[in-house]
Amino acid sequence: MNWVVTAFSVLLCLFILPTRLPGMELLGVGPNWLLIWVVAWSIRRTVWQGAIAGLVLGLIQDGMTAPHPTHAISLAVVGMLTARIQKQRYIQEDFISVALIVFGMAVLAETITAVQFSLQGIGASAYAAHRALAEVWFYHQRIALSSAILSSLWAPVVYYPLNRWWQQANAVEPSQT
Amino acid sequence: MYTLRRWWDRHGLRMGLVFLALGSAWVLRQTQGAAVFEIYQRVSRPFESMPTSAERIETAEMQELQQRLAELESQNQQLQEMLGYVQSRPTEGITAPIIGRSADHWWQQVTLSRGSRDGIQVGGIVAGPGGLVGRITHVTPSTSRVLLVSDPTSQVGVTISRSRHMGYMRGQAANRAVMEFFDKVPDVQPGDVVSTSSFSQLFPPGFPIGRVESVNLSKSPAPEAVIELSAPINALEWVVVYPNSRTEIPNSP
Repeated sequence: MNWVVTAFSVLLCLFILPTRLPGMELLGVGPNWLLIWVVAWSIRRTVWQGAIAGLVLGLIQDGMTAPHPTHAISLAVVGMLTARIQKQRYIQEDFISVALIVFGMAVLAETITAVQFSLQGIGASAYAAHRALAEVWFYHQRIALSSAILSSLWAPVVYYPLNRWWQQANAVEPSQT
Repeated sequence: MYTLRRWWDRHGLRMGLVFLALGSAWVLRQTQGAAVFEIYQRVSRPFESMPTSAERIETAEMQELQQRLAELESQNQQLQEMLGYVQSRPTEGITAPIIGRSADHWWQQVTLSRGSRDGIQVGGIVAGPGGLVGRITHVTPSTSRVLLVSDPTSQVGVTISRSRHMGYMRGQAANRAVMEFFDKVPDVQPGDVVSTSSFSQLFPPGFPIGRVESVNLSKSPAPEAVIELSAPINALEWVVVYPNSRTEIPNSP
């Protein structure tokens, strides 16, 4: 049952990803729902669980857009770091800190993608279709900020119900996870 | 008698207030709270908006009807435009609604709700009202994914319609693109119409793309022009997909 609900919530995030509902858009950029999901998942789990969740969702997102460069790296790093932060107990668990984590992680994820694009541009031949270095980083500035703002604002929508569900599921079956 | 008097002295006022409260409550109950509502009405009158409720409901209904009419009108107009657009093209296109945008921020893509079952193939040319929109990159049985011309990785060979000077165009997100010329001193000025050139390996020649917005002739290594795409890519709801004859060389720009 727990797994069904978890899978269903991922599916919901995937469905909402290509839509652009009014009010969810800033400079043509929407919130990064998968990133929010990964943060919500890893915040009370181990580094490995976070990494695997990020990997899985990143691969799915690759399938929904384009496989090069991959989203799996950035989402896996996000999952691992989120799990690490929780260990250090610097950050308590409430909406504000979740929003802050999502903000930082969104910037980080876009930066990792931008680095990947830059490497791709350096490695590629002059005639192949690739992005110029200056363009990549100019674009990075624009989307990192708007994506981070939007994702952190929408984070509680995903985080709150999921976290409630997992808490309840853990209370019922403490032997799991 | 004395004790009663002393009790009354001590509790009389309180008793009086209690009875007053009970009495007025009873009166209010019997009159269905008329006084309260009267006072409420007086107090709230300054904040009241002018039209009465009946008028307000009527206006709301009218607004709803007007909105519905506007929606239908625009839909009708769009469909008619699409119809005319399809007819004005020599080859038969497949009309497809856009059901989704790119699932991440780095790619400029849209998803159409027509796929291989409707005859769409990879490499198909996607056009909307206003001109070229993109190229089909993935097809599933009932959806297909379009790489928009505004994506930085989608490069199109283009030409200035007026002077026939050639170049190629890279997307720059939203509805802008940058055209790099092959000539050192191209004959180009803002407002010139840009269309696909016959050198383009992925697109057929002569598709309208947009207008030149600004020109930078001193740019190195090649002069550049910023192009405003004429198709309103962010507001598109319907597009037409044409089969492409130039799909033999899929991996070159």
